[in-house]
Amino acid sequence: MLLTPEVLTILILNIIFAIFAVVAFVLSLRIFLKWDANSTSITQYELEKQSYLAATIIKYIFTIKVPLFIFFIFALDKISNVITGAMCAAGVVDATQSGMYLIVLKIINLYLFAYWLRIHTTDISDKNQPYTRYKFGLFLGLFFLLMLELALDFSMFKDIEIDKMVSCCGSIYSSSSTSALSTLFKIDNSLLLMVFYTNYFLIVLLFFLKKRYLFSALNALFIPLSLVSLILFFGTYIYELPSHHCPFCFLQSDYYYVGYFLYFFLFMGTFYGLVVSFVKDSDSSYKISLLFNSLYVILLTLYILNYYIKNGVFL
Amino acid sequence: MQNKINFYIVEYAINSLLRQKYKTIFISIVFSMLVFLLSSLFFITNSIKYELKQTLEALPDITVQKIKGGRHYDIDVSTIDEILDIHGVSGAVARVWGYYYFENAGVNFSLVGIDEYEEQYKKSFVDVAANLDFTKPSMIVGEGVKIVMDKNYYKDYFNFIKPDGTLKRVDIAATFKAQSELESNDVIVMSKENVREIFDISAQKATDIVVRVANFNEVATVASKIKLLYPDTRVITKDDLKISYQNIFDYKSGIFLALFSVSLFTFFIIIYDRVSGLSSEQKREIGILKAVGWRVDDVLKEKFYEGFIVSIFSYLVGITLSFAFVYIFKAPLLQNIFLGYSQLKTSFNLPFVFDMQTLALIFFLSVPIYIAAIIIPSWRSATLEADEVIR
Repeated sequence: MLLTPEVLTILILNIIFAIFAVVAFVLSLRIFLKWDANSTSITQYELEKQSYLAATIIKYIFTIKVPLFIFFIFALDKISNVITGAMCAAGVVDATQSGMYLIVLKIINLYLFAYWLRIHTTDISDKNQPYTRYKFGLFLGLFFLLMLELALDFSMFKDIEIDKMVSCCGSIYSSSSTSALSTLFKIDNSLLLMVFYTNYFLIVLLFFLKKRYLFSALNALFIPLSLVSLILFFGTYIYELPSHHCPFCFLQSDYYYVGYFLYFFLFMGTFYGLVVSFVKDSDSSYKISLLFNSLYVILLTLYILNYYIKNGVFL
Repeated sequence: MQNKINFYIVEYAINSLLRQKYKTIFISIVFSMLVFLLSSLFFITNSIKYELKQTLEALPDITVQKIKGGRHYDIDVSTIDEILDIHGVSGAVARVWGYYYFENAGVNFSLVGIDEYEEQYKKSFVDVAANLDFTKPSMIVGEGVKIVMDKNYYKDYFNFIKPDGTLKRVDIAATFKAQSELESNDVIVMSKENVREIFDISAQKATDIVVRVANFNEVATVASKIKLLYPDTRVITKDDLKISYQNIFDYKSGIFLALFSVSLFTFFIIIYDRVSGLSSEQKREIGILKAVGWRVDDVLKEKFYEGFIVSIFSYLVGITLSFAFVYIFKAPLLQNIFLGYSQLKTSFNLPFVFDMQTLALIFFLSVPIYIAAIIIPSWRSATLEADEVIR
């Protein structure tokens, strides 16, 4: 068990989340089962009141979770100083069995919570509250994911052993490693880049055509493509080092924390891209999605151009 | 984005806070104190860590100690020659040093021996070596040592008691101040022969051996080679030390934080209690608001704005106070937690370290907890029935 202040802070907040999430869960369950917008009974009136509390709690959890996620990555980076072999968060994530799942789960939860919030704002801006049952039903599922995440958080910090040697990101993200990632490295860079940029330009094209489902599908595809191309290709230009493929190191101060911007752009862009399928009258979502996706692509492309201008060759 | 801030409600929230003056002041004071205590602690830890890091940078890459019966033992000076043969080693020096217990004052001095012509393993000793007179028994002492000796009327010289009971008189040549006070306060530097004489170490032996490695990346390999050559030694690299220091401080502040979480919980309860106790006046206020058309959501929003304003304000006040407390007033009382109980305390000044992460940490430990505490009371008051409370 690692007893650093950062870990304790995360755990303390997790306890608060857990308690409140249980309250919200119970309320959601009641609302989900008994909600009837046309009824004038006392129960319905009570439920309407309780829906405010549940919604407030969920909003609270999400609002804190977003900065807390960044703080979590920050904390991992800091713990990496202590663990033998780890040089950035990648090593810490790799140090326990659940680490990688936890990160993936955290990201999925962020998308889902953000989606919930989006539904919520549409819901309460409508007099008839058409989505109320749906959103609380959604939270019933979300609750379990959240609890799983909190449990994994705890078990990960519990399992980290300071004395155990872990792999450095240089070996985890390399073509020679025996992990599942090494198969990724067989992908041809030029092919990957072609697909990546084609995907992006299709997104731009569909922005003008306003085809909702296609736009979302392409955005969904954009997430894995971006991550893979970031690891395989773009990362090396950020580090200016052909052998370094780590998706965590550029979160550190050495690279001006550029990773936080990249991931933020990617998250915002793809999230709003996905939202257009689920929520009507989403003109602004189209715009936000395109804006952040473009920022993401431009930022990465600038890194390559910058390298080419400085050195006259590509890596 | 639908969630635009409604400035009219913000204005209303501020006015509402000012109307409940005493409650607001009470909560702000408690909250600020909490933040203040927490952040002072972390600021002190950060500063000490920073000082230690500086000290560590000055330390040799590898230290080799001989271990006999599980305890540290004098090492043969001839070991150096073999260590120097290892590829990658750019220098090795046998150190002669030890702790001298000065009974009158109840303090330990760190006696360090240097040679005039050898390469100094610490930068701060280069100046010292240039100034020290090696022809006669003299020493250069740290500032803390000087003060202790002055108090005991040793103005110009000091009598060391050798293991055989005889006295060794050494003149005080000068005092020195290194970059970091942690490393210099209790130090006495003199020639190696003198230290050998005081501690009765023969000329073939040394306390330990420090090794310099030209390429930083090779330190681990060189260390393992030395370990293979001399299985009876303990080989400590700079990284080992860094890690153990960080662990110690993380542990210390972790324990503090674990205890502190109790007061966080108390704080939670206090706030919960304070916010949920609505006076009839406040109830009427909410009733009127709802009667003039505020929705539950608006009232909730207003309550949260109040919460944010109070918590951010108290957070900022707490942080500012503790910046002043730690870096201007040098954190009286609180820094003793970290200093240990040695008589000759290292009175270090706390260098200013600005760390975003610490500020974020304190933020997460205060503001979200406050907001969490007001969720349910706010909801309760927001869903009060207008007709019931106005009646």
